[in-house]
Amino acid sequence: MKELRQAVEAQWPNLEVMIGWGWGFDLLHGRPLFVRKIEEVAGLVWNPFCVQNLTGYLAKIPAVQAEDKAKKIGVCVRGCDSRSLVALIQEKLVSREQLMVFGLPCQGTVDWRRLAAHSPLVGVKSARIEGERLLVEDSRTIREFTLDQVLARRCLRCTHPNPVVYDVLIGEQVAPRATSLDRYRDVERVEALDVGGRLAFWREALDRCIRCYACRNACPLCICQDRCIAETRDPKWLSQYMGLPEKFLFHFIHALHLAGRCTECGECERVCPMEIPVTLMKEKLGRIVGDLMGYEAGLDPEATPPLLTFNPAETGV
Amino acid sequence: MSKMIFIGSDQLTAALDHLSERVELWVPAGASGGPGVIRFQRYRPGVEVVLDRLTNLSPKEAVQPQVETLLRFRTVKSADDPAAEQLLLDDGIEARRVLVFGARPCDARAFLLSDEVFLKGPYEDVYYRARRESTLLAALVCREGDDACFCSAVGGGPADTAGSDLRIVPVEGGVVVEALGEEAESLLEGLGEVVSDAGREEALRVVDEISALCMGEIDTSASVQAFKSRFEDRDYWREVAERCLSCGVCTFVCPTCYCFTITDEKRGLEGERLRSWDSCMFYQYTLEASGHNPRPTKLERYRNRVGHKFSYFPEKYDGRFSCTGCGRCVRFCPVSIDIRRAVSGLKENICECP
Amino acid sequence: MSVLNPYRPELATIREVIQETASIRTLRVTLDDAEKMRGFSFQPGQVGQLSVFGVGESTFVINSPPSCRDYLQFSIMRVGEVTQRLHQLNVGDQIGVRAPLGNAFPVEEMRGKHILFIAGGIGMAPLRTLLLTLLEERERYGEITLIYGARSPGDLCYRYEFEDWKSRGAELVLTVDQEFPGWTERVGFVPTVLSEESPSPHNRIAVVCGPPIMIKFVLFGLKELEFEDHQIFTTLEKRMKCGIGICGRCNIGSQYVCVDGPVFNFDQLRHMVPDL
Repeated sequence: MKELRQAVEAQWPNLEVMIGWGWGFDLLHGRPLFVRKIEEVAGLVWNPFCVQNLTGYLAKIPAVQAEDKAKKIGVCVRGCDSRSLVALIQEKLVSREQLMVFGLPCQGTVDWRRLAAHSPLVGVKSARIEGERLLVEDSRTIREFTLDQVLARRCLRCTHPNPVVYDVLIGEQVAPRATSLDRYRDVERVEALDVGGRLAFWREALDRCIRCYACRNACPLCICQDRCIAETRDPKWLSQYMGLPEKFLFHFIHALHLAGRCTECGECERVCPMEIPVTLMKEKLGRIVGDLMGYEAGLDPEATPPLLTFNPAETGV
Repeated sequence: MSKMIFIGSDQLTAALDHLSERVELWVPAGASGGPGVIRFQRYRPGVEVVLDRLTNLSPKEAVQPQVETLLRFRTVKSADDPAAEQLLLDDGIEARRVLVFGARPCDARAFLLSDEVFLKGPYEDVYYRARRESTLLAALVCREGDDACFCSAVGGGPADTAGSDLRIVPVEGGVVVEALGEEAESLLEGLGEVVSDAGREEALRVVDEISALCMGEIDTSASVQAFKSRFEDRDYWREVAERCLSCGVCTFVCPTCYCFTITDEKRGLEGERLRSWDSCMFYQYTLEASGHNPRPTKLERYRNRVGHKFSYFPEKYDGRFSCTGCGRCVRFCPVSIDIRRAVSGLKENICECP
Repeated sequence: MSVLNPYRPELATIREVIQETASIRTLRVTLDDAEKMRGFSFQPGQVGQLSVFGVGESTFVINSPPSCRDYLQFSIMRVGEVTQRLHQLNVGDQIGVRAPLGNAFPVEEMRGKHILFIAGGIGMAPLRTLLLTLLEERERYGEITLIYGARSPGDLCYRYEFEDWKSRGAELVLTVDQEFPGWTERVGFVPTVLSEESPSPHNRIAVVCGPPIMIKFVLFGLKELEFEDHQIFTTLEKRMKCGIGICGRCNIGSQYVCVDGPVFNFDQLRHMVPDL
């Protein structure tokens, strides 16, 4: 954390605005922080409660801009969101030259709902990671959790904990928690069900969808969120009926529009108020793209996502 | 003296079974497949009730379902005269008797605020009235809040009865259920023993203890005017809402958010006019057909949200905020925007961020 | 449902269609329930929500005068889903009507005064109601002047009524944005023509309606002529759904355009948050 602040301060003459994280409403929640004065740099934090993918702010209207074109926009990224950044660069939604990227190798972020599932926490006084344990002190007790119990699902299956693009690296690179073999085990668990079982799984999961579109708005790549196919009336694709057909249609369209682009940063699943495993659909499509086209999203800024281009010489399709 | 009965913890399930035979009973329970998501669901024997925490979605669904049909229309043609068409409209509503068991005082209070809009304006919303009149609320008092609760700061309290028909008080070995009206009394017949004097005293003592708790403090004084003075301070609203995703989760989980849209759906010769939840956080909310949008970005939209809840609504309704301090928006906001800070900062020179 | 349901439209039938311009169409409708039609009353400035069942509902000012008992008139500009469909309907087709909604022009306040109407394009629609109402009792008002401008002669609505209005005592100043063959009236934007006309603010009320940009410059012009805020009225537009002050979206601060408006004077607007 100190290293990050020092690095930002050192680069401050070149920066007009720095996008990082600060403390949210309590010690279990981080929040995006937009720093525009050097005094505010002290408010930057970096810990496993810094959960948000900050790259969306660079692309979605109104995108963060540097008014002084000689200066840059600083942004913090971990492994997953550095890939989102690469995806945005690939699609020319963000210009690399404008940015100063502070890369932070990441051991994982805490899903506060997994904490709260055990029992509600009141008057949180401290929360810290020690090795592979999380210790939380509230007004009544000190509770200990293993990281397996509290890390977000996206972190437990992470194969890219280190930023793939950066100008300044903060901290030591870390080992991934998952390998290419086990990163799709959640997808495989569903695939292991027969068709009826899979339908039942998705029916149950999507039945509680309230079509709030938080998943779409949290996705850094969904820059068309204000003109989304889910809400247009002319032509009209979805009615306002809150039935399963409408919910299935929205989620499938959303996942398909992201196929080959989604970097599985997991924001969609994190923000869902109904805890629907939304990223799972995208993981499945990501694996298909990987198998068919040998392509993984968000790694090479020069590459073009395969579904955004047409290659006559393509094999395997 | 209000009727009070005692239901032992081991008898609660049986009592709910009985209640569910008399009335459509809604209780907080984990969602199928998503046990961490607690929401109000239809009680059936076997449903596990969760009473130790606030629900994700408020019980406003009982009176304002996420989607409801306002009108059914169909075109009928005549066999004798094929060119003649007649349009038929139907606006019937079926409201069933519902008891929402295990709401919280903040949830119950919210209904009174919505009543102002739906029932006491220049026009009465007949659909809302039908459901409202047939819905009873049993609110469980809150022994404790979490770091997001702030009911005391907005005119409510953890044992408040405003909007409730029944009050549920946790006592040694079970709960005391207190009827706050005649209809509620009749509902309690045979569910448990009428409390003894000592039992009544204990229940009232717990209520007093809880009522003394202060759940949250924010400076809401003069917010009506403070908001207007801050309206054009774009730096302030950028500070507050720059991180907003316009995702709308805050409005969906909020018990006092009532905004809706009306859309027509048609299949062939028949169709329906639907009313469904909308959100002032969405771009389309105020988008005009000409393409002009008075609130084109999240800044204007979030500003309107704070304004509506803490300035416009109290201006119209004797200083009451369109907020009961349940804290759901704070808990569920993906970027941890805290409306408490947005409000308390209205009067300050600088918005203090943690 | 037996109780009065403010969401339920009355069925109405289109009796006459007038294509005013390429994008503006006037519909004259009667309520199917003859008794309701006979008993229908409203005040100038009030609006109605027209339903095309299966498509949606939109708000339009009732732009026939209250004295007209034979039909209700609405002039519709084609901009979106519902208006597109309304433009495709013909005589004999049924629609829904929820009316009257909203507030009205303060006709009482206008008695004994000079009235200056300033309209641009479709903005003439709400002003027509008021104009015709005042002309019915011409002697109760001072000068009645209309400055009406549009992009081209073909974009002026109600051209077939101008002579009638003149003959009943309204002074018409018509203008289009540029020269057109055969056009002998004024040329210039409405705010420019207003400055040229230079009406005195003394004992005069201005009623303005048109595209937002026109209203903005007309307002400058009127202030330069020393009109005060309370002398200037307009009708506002917002995206609307319920039309009855419940759904929440058409608010400007604590006021709803659908029930506290759409008629506002600028003194009121000055005291409202600038959320337009």
